[in-house]
Amino acid sequence: MFRFQKEQEIVNVAGVKIGGQPGELPTALAGTIFYNNHKIVEDEVAGVFDRNAAETLVNVQETNSDETGNPHLIHIFGMTQKSICNYIDFIVNITDAPFLIDSPEASVRMHALEHVTNIGLADKTVYNSINMSITDEECEALKQSDVDSSILLGFNAMDSSLQGRMALLENGGGVMECGLLDIAQKCGIANILIDPSIVPLGNGAGIALRMTLVAKAKWGYPVGSGIHNAPSAWNWLKAKRKDDPLIYRMCDIGSTCLQQAAAGDFVLYGPIENAPYTFPLAAMGDIMMSEASADLDIEPSASHPINILV
Amino acid sequence: MILEPIAPEWPVVKGDYVVGTPDSRVAVVTLASTIEPYLKASIWGSCKTENLGVEKIVANMISNSNIRYIIICGGESRGHLAGQTLVALHQNGIDERGRIIGSSGAIPFIENIPEDAIDHFQRQIQLIEHIGLTDIEQIHQLVDEYRNKGSIHDEEPMVVGAAKKKHTISDKPVSGDIMISDDFMIDALSGVVYAEECI
Repeated sequence: MFRFQKEQEIVNVAGVKIGGQPGELPTALAGTIFYNNHKIVEDEVAGVFDRNAAETLVNVQETNSDETGNPHLIHIFGMTQKSICNYIDFIVNITDAPFLIDSPEASVRMHALEHVTNIGLADKTVYNSINMSITDEECEALKQSDVDSSILLGFNAMDSSLQGRMALLENGGGVMECGLLDIAQKCGIANILIDPSIVPLGNGAGIALRMTLVAKAKWGYPVGSGIHNAPSAWNWLKAKRKDDPLIYRMCDIGSTCLQQAAAGDFVLYGPIENAPYTFPLAAMGDIMMSEASADLDIEPSASHPINILV
Repeated sequence: MILEPIAPEWPVVKGDYVVGTPDSRVAVVTLASTIEPYLKASIWGSCKTENLGVEKIVANMISNSNIRYIIICGGESRGHLAGQTLVALHQNGIDERGRIIGSSGAIPFIENIPEDAIDHFQRQIQLIEHIGLTDIEQIHQLVDEYRNKGSIHDEEPMVVGAAKKKHTISDKPVSGDIMISDDFMIDALSGVVYAEECI
């Protein structure tokens, strides 16, 4: 499809490689577990959940990953300090896959940083995320932890344009004293993953696709997003879901391909239940992208779906 | 006296809401909770984010001068604190950088609403704060208490929305930093595809 002039970084998080030229590495896929209203969660405060169901979900994602060659990560979402630690302890006992730690509460994210450092699994952890709300306290927690992989979220609430989002990363864009890239460096983040941020359709969701290209062209870091959040927040689509749930699922899962076509390196594809549909779709997208880049001197990796499935 | 209290095509901004009785004095925001709407309210919907969600509420309130009260109920969205942010916006407004003063939400910024719209919102609306309330009966009672209370706001409805940001595309590439083929390149920043001979 296309090749970036800028050398493309490949990060390695506990054996999972993310980044490179389009068509080089398979898209890394992260399914979310223990998300808000996840039916397997019985008590979101205490972190009580159906352990058999959770293990099955992770195993299914892992099996899909083995089959297609798309590496996988577990996106762990927790509401409280107690719950996120419970979730992490469970996940690391059933899979070797790296995982993201995520919470809307900074105090929960910071506690998770401390926890993964204490149990010696910081190298498997991706922090989600360094963003414009970061405080000195959160920076200090990152510095004190052993975590060296993080998503940098390009959400600029004062200027959601492409320029505004790029500026937030580069120099703070007038919102922060310095850019998120500098903050990440000061916090000891070696593996930088850029998420242009997905806002609702009508508010500039598509800008994330454009920024994927621009960020890779400018910095060469791996770029990806939770693009499914655009269709899942679309009121019109939610209404259609009542007529036929498949319409919603097609748009939700299918959005993965858009991120891939815009040279995305990773996708946070949403509910982990969608793994059996997302992995084949992403594998198809990867094969297409690889074939589209075949005459641009880009060699797909041995584990690429093009070398496994066709 | 105002001529037309409701802007044409109100609600002016799309969102996760249901329109009830447009000339009712009260609107209901259920924050992160989904609560069966009571259509004697003018508009009934959720609000989960402290930036875009709050902006939408302001836009849809000030474009209908019938609305004088907002009942804020339902569970707060953790981290985002959209309810607390709405209260802070109403009490304190925004600073020179667009940050909502006094909000404890994660990213409480206003991008698409001008400051005079926030002033209008503060003049027109009184907040009835019941964050955490999910009891349908109690919410219905509140709606009944306020739906006919007071008079229409004495200012014309104000319509605001995000300005379309147009950028001029140069016909001269800055650089061809993405290669498509031997003959064509993309300048990533401008998004324009160029023949290589132009670069």
